[in-house]
Amino acid sequence: MGRYIAGRLGQLVPVLFLISVIVFGVMHALPGDPAQLMLQGAEGGAPPERLEELREQMGLNDPLLVQYLRFAGSALVGDLGESIRFRTPVTELILERFGFTLQLALSGLVMAILIGLPLGMIAAMRQNSWVDTLAMSIAYAGASMPIFWFGLIMILLFSFNLGWLPPAGADGLESLVLPAVTLGFVSAGLISRLVRSSMIEVLGEDYIRTSRAKGLSERLVLWRHGLKNALIPVVTMIGLIFGGMLAGAVVTETVFSRPGVGRLVVAAILSKDYPLVQGCVLFLSVVYLSVNLAVDILYAWLDPRIRYAA
Amino acid sequence: MSPQPPSLTDEEVPAVASARARAVARFLRNRGAVAGLVIMGFWCLVALLGPLVAPYDPTDTVGRARQPPSGAFWLGTDTLGRDVFSRVLVGSQVSLQLGLISVGLGAVPGVLMGLIAGYLGGWVDALISRFVDAMLAFPSILLALVIIAALGPSLPNVMIAVGIGTIPLYARLTRGSVLGVKRLPYVEAARVLGNPPGRIMLRHVLANCYAPIVVLSTLQVGNAILVGSGLSFLGLGAQPPTPEWGLMSAEGRDVLRRAWWISTFPGIAILSVVVACNLLGDGLRSALDPRMRVDG
Repeated sequence: MGRYIAGRLGQLVPVLFLISVIVFGVMHALPGDPAQLMLQGAEGGAPPERLEELREQMGLNDPLLVQYLRFAGSALVGDLGESIRFRTPVTELILERFGFTLQLALSGLVMAILIGLPLGMIAAMRQNSWVDTLAMSIAYAGASMPIFWFGLIMILLFSFNLGWLPPAGADGLESLVLPAVTLGFVSAGLISRLVRSSMIEVLGEDYIRTSRAKGLSERLVLWRHGLKNALIPVVTMIGLIFGGMLAGAVVTETVFSRPGVGRLVVAAILSKDYPLVQGCVLFLSVVYLSVNLAVDILYAWLDPRIRYAA
Repeated sequence: MSPQPPSLTDEEVPAVASARARAVARFLRNRGAVAGLVIMGFWCLVALLGPLVAPYDPTDTVGRARQPPSGAFWLGTDTLGRDVFSRVLVGSQVSLQLGLISVGLGAVPGVLMGLIAGYLGGWVDALISRFVDAMLAFPSILLALVIIAALGPSLPNVMIAVGIGTIPLYARLTRGSVLGVKRLPYVEAARVLGNPPGRIMLRHVLANCYAPIVVLSTLQVGNAILVGSGLSFLGLGAQPPTPEWGLMSAEGRDVLRRAWWISTFPGIAILSVVVACNLLGDGLRSALDPRMRVDG
């Protein structure tokens, strides 16, 4: 197990290296000059000597390799530079908001499972009936839906027409319901299709016939023996789905005017706050990779075949 | 092409023709696939005719702002008094372009990378595969955001960003099919006849790997439209006054309570195109290769 984890951690190194190169490359492929951008707000424009001074101060006159090593080195110890717009450390800005994004992503994941699992189970149990068709149509629509549009429809229905839930903000559990359902519904389609096909496969196995033959109740057969094994492919997908949640959070946070890292990165792109864009993307990538690593380790721990094959 | 013995040709041609006919028949028996084809055909027609079928100019103020759907304005007017129906119709041009161009930008380099990696093998394969694995480990939305941050928010940049994100998918898929095909005797025969590797890869190997690539591309057109319209909704893609569906939804967001129609209808258009692409892609998958069929 220790060797598996070490190997899996080793695989992360080239990925992290590539990501840092891409993210750093962006900063330097830009037509604009970050020093100039920082001084744009200053009164009477940017005097050339002040610009040169700042450029020196920011290390923009050093060779690219030196700049990259400095960037990567400080990123490793959690220093992501300073935001141009907020004039505060990027790490601080991200950490202030990450709790909201994590809350949204996790509750979205729970919603996706709560919607997707029963949908897939029902479809598998009534395979090829109208129930199956209906459940799979819902799943299909969910997977084909623009997330911002579904969010707006939810606001229209549950906030404006019924007045049940707040349309925006992030205070309390109430304001989390609509964003979580929105985020969850889109991934529920994927989960339900996965549950359906693996459930159908499992239901054809010999041990299911055995448990029926020995007189177990249908409920026990389905939920105990069927679902437990049908869930394996779903568990392997959780990491991927969580990545989808982070991506969806970028849009969902904007639709519901929720604070979060997703909204922060969009605002940073629009205001050309490159250190902030850089920091947010790097941070979200590391979160995504860590979640996937955790899922893989968990999976290898549950299923010994994985760690010996690797 | 090198001449073939006539006896072989006689046997081969009808077999190939009937395989194709069987695929078409399988596709047409699939109700979902036909529905996808019909919806897609409708949108392609609308996109081709474009302004000809739209009752008003999509960028002109033609009435009072925020009028509800009526006989004159079937889907109402937007915040600037433009006809939502005309904008949705003409918006199909933007969305289909977005889908097709970004798929092309991802498929061409991706397929070439997969072809080279799979056919040549060795260190070339190792290098390309490492790179593809690393790209796949990075969520494509983050890559898209980085590219847009670098190039600036615009529709062409969204196409580039979404396209680049799909390169590893194509590379991995193509490499896998190539590994299966390149060991077949006819490829060896082509090699023995002295064909250069480039020619064998493109004419002999790729020609037999096209089915999964076509399926992935069909599904990716829908996915690109979904991601691209999302980016436009955030203000990172198409800019006003372009009649882009995601942007139109964003423009109606602030007046959602009073004028629900501005945001709602463009979203339905996106949904219908994406559903059509997915139905078409799944239909093609089961028609082109019955082994790939999931079930039922």
